[in-house]
Amino acid sequence: MTAKEKRSDGTLKNNRAKYLFLMPGVIWILAFTLFPLIYSFGLSMTNYRLGRNPKYIGFENYAEILGIGDEKVDKKAVSTASFSAFLFIGSTAATLIFGTFVAWVFNHNLPFLRQMRAIVTMPLFAAPIALGWLGVVIFNEQSGPINNVLEGLGLGRVNWFIEPMPARLAVMFTDVWQWTPFVFIVVLAAMQSVPDDLYESAQLDTKSNWVLFRWITFPMIAPALGTVMLLRMVESLKIIDIPYSLTRGGPGSVTQTYVYYAYEKGLVGSFQLGEAAALAYLLVIVSIVVSSIYFYRVRERFE
Amino acid sequence: MAAKTDSLPLTEPRSAFTRASLSDRLIIALAIICTFIAFSPFGYAALTSLKSEWKDGSIIPFLQFEPNLLNWQQEFGSGGAETMKALRNSTLISLGATVVATTLGTLAGYGLARFKYGIGNRNLVSWFLSQRFLPPVATLIPFVLMFRDLKLLDTLPGMVIVNATFTLPFAVLIMRDYFADLPPEMREAALVDGAGEFTTFWRIALPLARPALVASTLICFAFAWNEFLFASVLANRDWKPYPMLVAGSDTVRGIDFGFVTTRMLIAVTVPVILSLMVQRFIVRGLTFGAVKG
Repeated sequence: MTAKEKRSDGTLKNNRAKYLFLMPGVIWILAFTLFPLIYSFGLSMTNYRLGRNPKYIGFENYAEILGIGDEKVDKKAVSTASFSAFLFIGSTAATLIFGTFVAWVFNHNLPFLRQMRAIVTMPLFAAPIALGWLGVVIFNEQSGPINNVLEGLGLGRVNWFIEPMPARLAVMFTDVWQWTPFVFIVVLAAMQSVPDDLYESAQLDTKSNWVLFRWITFPMIAPALGTVMLLRMVESLKIIDIPYSLTRGGPGSVTQTYVYYAYEKGLVGSFQLGEAAALAYLLVIVSIVVSSIYFYRVRERFE
Repeated sequence: MAAKTDSLPLTEPRSAFTRASLSDRLIIALAIICTFIAFSPFGYAALTSLKSEWKDGSIIPFLQFEPNLLNWQQEFGSGGAETMKALRNSTLISLGATVVATTLGTLAGYGLARFKYGIGNRNLVSWFLSQRFLPPVATLIPFVLMFRDLKLLDTLPGMVIVNATFTLPFAVLIMRDYFADLPPEMREAALVDGAGEFTTFWRIALPLARPALVASTLICFAFAWNEFLFASVLANRDWKPYPMLVAGSDTVRGIDFGFVTTRMLIAVTVPVILSLMVQRFIVRGLTFGAVKG
């Protein structure tokens, strides 16, 4: 390719063509991702509410949220952020553990596993908003199958939508149920790339599945797990559809995620767009940190 | 492992035989449990949606024409119009977004796979993917104002723009990977024969990339179909897509489980079927290319 580019005649043509391929996409992103992001930052410096004239107020919105200076910290921002942190840790950890376990199960050469694998991945592709509704039916306190099973096991019924902790868990379980297949497919792909002879030589020394997993499979899939963990973290910060339809953020606002709060602040009721933009921007910073780690890790892949 | 067990000679010690098949059976049992957990909520929803049909008949059609055709016809008349409109909206929005995202993604993907850019291809790819990392509310808030000023609120072009924007990363990634795996000699041979860059792309690379093109199309369509958040703000009347209908299921008539589960199943069927067809590419798409499926 470099040889071709050096030809005096080809260089110009080649150069122009290569930018033509890229341009439409670049312009699209500039217009619909980068521009909105800058716009949003501008908004976050105003006290804009729908129907009123915006006024520039500098970093006041941020100060209000974070409780800097004379301002009191925005309590709801803190409580919703803590629920988001709960999902960030809980949901990420649970999907990683379950997904890896399911991948280990399906990484056997047995009949029907291939067919079952397709079914296992189904939740991943369903609209989260619909899965929230599915949760409403499944977690229903009177007639839902989960409570029926719990009662059948003698564990008693759980008030999934009335008590704070069960409600938080219901949101988390639904999210975990949806995203475990994601970890599963990625980790399974990683497991299948582990060379067989590694296992064969190790099986001379041990018959224990756990030892094989701990000392061969796990080190080999660790990079993929790291990648998946970062992606799950980013996704968990974006959760809104599931609590939106499953709990409406309730009881009270204990299952309201941070994104949900920003959404509510800016796009429902009083439309405080300036403040909502500031809330969203704080999260953008967190997302940028996590995604930078991600892109640093996978940098060779994109050369 | 099963094959090995089967081929063991009969003289093999019995203990070894049973142990192997026992652990195989355990694995199968675990796999069945996993499959059951993944599937049973859908199965339960399917049963629920069938049950209440006999109870009060307040259900949208589509799934029940087997048990009771009369009911189906009835429902198609009364509640069907809203459903059909939302499904039409979803289809048009997803199609439009898919066409835009796949077109831009194919061009950019080819460029990124075949040329070196001054800024660094790695940076460009990250840049294309970064959109997936942003919390959607961050762009949603400015979109409301932009769309209001551009008169794009509650319009098909507006919804296509939104959905194309957030499916574009999938398209770029899938196409880039596929083009990068094609042998570069093909392009070079075509260029030597005097074909221009664009002819080479159109005549040589694109036909070869058909599988990736199909995958990109289906994945973009499925993800656009599932989008709810932007629609809830930007298209809440005429261009309401189906997930909006699902989200509003309770306001219509309280929580009627049969009704809710039917809508849920309709919403879920399309993307699930599409995605099952292109599983291999999904891994790449969802991990932003970090893992090759």
